[in-house]
Amino acid sequence: MFRLALLFSALLIVPHSAAAQQTRSSQGKPQAAPAPAAVPHDSVRGAIRVIDVRKRTVEVSTGVGYALRVVPLQVPASASIKDRKGGQLANIALADLKLGDVVRARFGGYAAPFVVYTIERIGRMTTGVDSTP
Amino acid sequence: MNRYAFVALALGWGVACKPPQPGDPVRGLSKAERARFDSGRAVFESTFTAAVGLGPLFNGSSCAECQEEPVVGGGGDEVERHAALFHPERVGFACDLLAAQGGPVFQDSVTPLLHAALGIDREPLPAGVTTVGRRSTPDVFGFGLLDAVPDSVILSYADPNDTNHDGIKGRPNRFVDGRLGRFGRKAFVPTLRDFNDGAFQAEIGITSPSVPEEGSVTGRPLPPGTDPAPDPELKEHELELADAFVRMLAPPSPLKQSREAKHGREVFARAGCTGCHIPALRTGDNPIAALRHKEVAAYTDLLLHDMGPDLADICFGLATPSEFRTEPLMGLHLATKFLHDGRATTPEQAIELHGGEATRSRDLFRALPAADRAALIAFLKTL
Repeated sequence: MFRLALLFSALLIVPHSAAAQQTRSSQGKPQAAPAPAAVPHDSVRGAIRVIDVRKRTVEVSTGVGYALRVVPLQVPASASIKDRKGGQLANIALADLKLGDVVRARFGGYAAPFVVYTIERIGRMTTGVDSTP
Repeated sequence: MNRYAFVALALGWGVACKPPQPGDPVRGLSKAERARFDSGRAVFESTFTAAVGLGPLFNGSSCAECQEEPVVGGGGDEVERHAALFHPERVGFACDLLAAQGGPVFQDSVTPLLHAALGIDREPLPAGVTTVGRRSTPDVFGFGLLDAVPDSVILSYADPNDTNHDGIKGRPNRFVDGRLGRFGRKAFVPTLRDFNDGAFQAEIGITSPSVPEEGSVTGRPLPPGTDPAPDPELKEHELELADAFVRMLAPPSPLKQSREAKHGREVFARAGCTGCHIPALRTGDNPIAALRHKEVAAYTDLLLHDMGPDLADICFGLATPSEFRTEPLMGLHLATKFLHDGRATTPEQAIELHGGEATRSRDLFRALPAADRAALIAFLKTL
């Protein structure tokens, strides 16, 4: 019983000690580990103006009226890329996206290029989209 | 009924039937809508200074500075610069509207702080820009009614493959998010709200909840300290009021037509002008009853048409350099300059400059007997 209690205590204490050591070694002085900051989330709807499949980057043109801007995006391999046709969603590859595709992308990050979670192709500029924004 | 009551009734009826004057709201607004129109006018007329957010790049210091003739909401004599890069070989996205540089509007004025920091008097054009589109200031009368026309009505006039072989195509433009465009000389902007919200930033340099980011200087960030006003520089309810004012401005009332003008209306149709300048569009459902299910004598189809090489300048969305939206002719009697850049000083000159899909109608106009030509012009001057 005593041996089991000792083992349990060790399991609880060791990770904390290791973490504390890590903080000391990297900062040079003991300090509490910072709380993880929330990554900002955002979304954009616009047309693809640049795509580089090899670098997995996409630039989306968007804006309001004549006030336009570009949102640069990095697309990790884990990002979900889907095509919406007739209300049905189908998985597609990054290479299937083309210039002029109208997409809705969800992304996060503090600075450009922002990291994509999902991209959904909802139409093309030449033909329009099924849904209203 | 005694005589005085009859006179009072007649006067009241006369006032009620008097057509709206330029700058008046559409008829039939509720008290609350009228109050928003009046409050919106105050926002529209507000003059911004650098201390409250003007610029640092801008074309005007208020909406009313450009929309001024003959009254607030009318046109103006300002001609601004738009730029874009056309890459016809880039399938799917041939028109680069320079979004990475803040968009196609390049402002002609800067605040003293920006001038001191960069030594510039206006926003430089990006490298590679060889063609500049010059854009005069149109009036915004009746724009709320144009906004209320359903997409389906506009698309019903499209004939991009000229299936009826009349030489007139008409194709829709689209915004970068795929929505059907209708505002602007190339029909790029989908809604009046977008048009107004974007203009605060692109024309006056005023940020808002709708466009929270300040513009750049040809894509470069603003130097520190050149935009001291905190963002957003305009509140949401102020945006809404400015939009309400523009939305509820009445279209200019056509003038009474003489016999000659009435004949000119027939000549206008006979020459094929109504192939693009559709005499009337019908609005759909709308939260504002005064805009709901109304006929608007807009004389446009809100579609793009090839106007030939002489008028061509820049691409815009799906519009090629030579494609322009059919200019609405409502309010033409108030105009002193014509075409997208104001290069024509008379309606005749404007017609003479039509090309592309309008070549046949222009040639028919040229071939008309002098009396018919005069009648057609007389008709246009009543719109």
